[in-house]
Amino acid sequence: MTPHVFQNHWQSHWQNHWAQALLDPAGAPPPGVARQAGTAPDRRFAVYRNNVMVSLTGALAARFPAVKRIVGDEFFDSAARAFASKNPPRSPLMMTYGEEFPDFIARLDAASAVPYLADVARLEAARTRAYHADDAAPLTAADLAGVSQETLFDLRFVLHPSLELVASRFPVVTIWAMNAGDLELAEITDWSGETALIVRPALDVEVRRPPPGAAAFLASLAAGDRLGDAAAAALAQSADFDLAVNLAALFSGGLAIDAAAAKDDPQ
Amino acid sequence: MTTKTEITAATLAGALATALTLVSASAEMGGEKADKEKCYGVSLKGQNDCAAGAGTSCAGSSKVDYDGSIWKYVPKGTCTTIKTPNGVGSLKAVKS
Repeated sequence: MTPHVFQNHWQSHWQNHWAQALLDPAGAPPPGVARQAGTAPDRRFAVYRNNVMVSLTGALAARFPAVKRIVGDEFFDSAARAFASKNPPRSPLMMTYGEEFPDFIARLDAASAVPYLADVARLEAARTRAYHADDAAPLTAADLAGVSQETLFDLRFVLHPSLELVASRFPVVTIWAMNAGDLELAEITDWSGETALIVRPALDVEVRRPPPGAAAFLASLAAGDRLGDAAAAALAQSADFDLAVNLAALFSGGLAIDAAAAKDDPQ
Repeated sequence: MTTKTEITAATLAGALATALTLVSASAEMGGEKADKEKCYGVSLKGQNDCAAGAGTSCAGSSKVDYDGSIWKYVPKGTCTTIKTPNGVGSLKAVKS
């Protein structure tokens, strides 16, 4: 074993100890932490450990404000600490921290009284991703003016890179909007499921609630289906689906960035 | 395939033509969004659209009012007219 390899081995061993100690409030400080004078090393290390936890839970609170509002500060803080101690960040970019938080909430027994909470978290996570997604110029209606009638059925759209759909068996958009300050808090009487459409065509992230047919249409287009098949899927979901209105929304909402006719299935 | 009989090329072409009319109508009615610009130094704490700097995790996370390193989207052309206790907004980050 060369000295270089030995050092790397020692270093990663030491780093693992350090990383584990950081996230375990009951654990001892990592080996090698000593003091020259003043406060005992375990108390000093506890300050450092607390800073790490506070910054991670703070990042979650910044990304999931509606979830926090629904469950309250105390519940959110304990859920965020439980999550952070098991899911250390893998990137220094704190805006991406908490990708697994919605799934964590879904498995959380304590949150079973609010079964819609995980979907609200999914919506909020998608909003941050949309915010940081690539910019792209939306497709305009004029771009399609030259497409021939024969190729229309086979047209495949490329949707905006920020676009995501969050389907829920709960009224997730209504619940989110009420807890994000977009809607007055009120009793929800219609508990039918909603699909959230999250997109950032320009500078602002938008959250919309497409009706079932429109949601199926977008999901089909997002999956790379042909326009004709997507329209059929939407009609199968809802007989009220209006293709003209939804195509217009696709352009005016900046939801698509490109379109090309291709007979073959992608892949 | 049965769907092909329901959705014909003529149906699609008709829908697309109607859609083009709808889009141009909404554009004429002023449906286009005004452009926005990033404006530094005007955001109240917690109200920023994005934060550049140590100790913050971006949107909504700034800790200080009117922090010069932090920006908020404002309608284009209005940034340098926004008055704060530290002067007007800036299109570039301000060192405090």
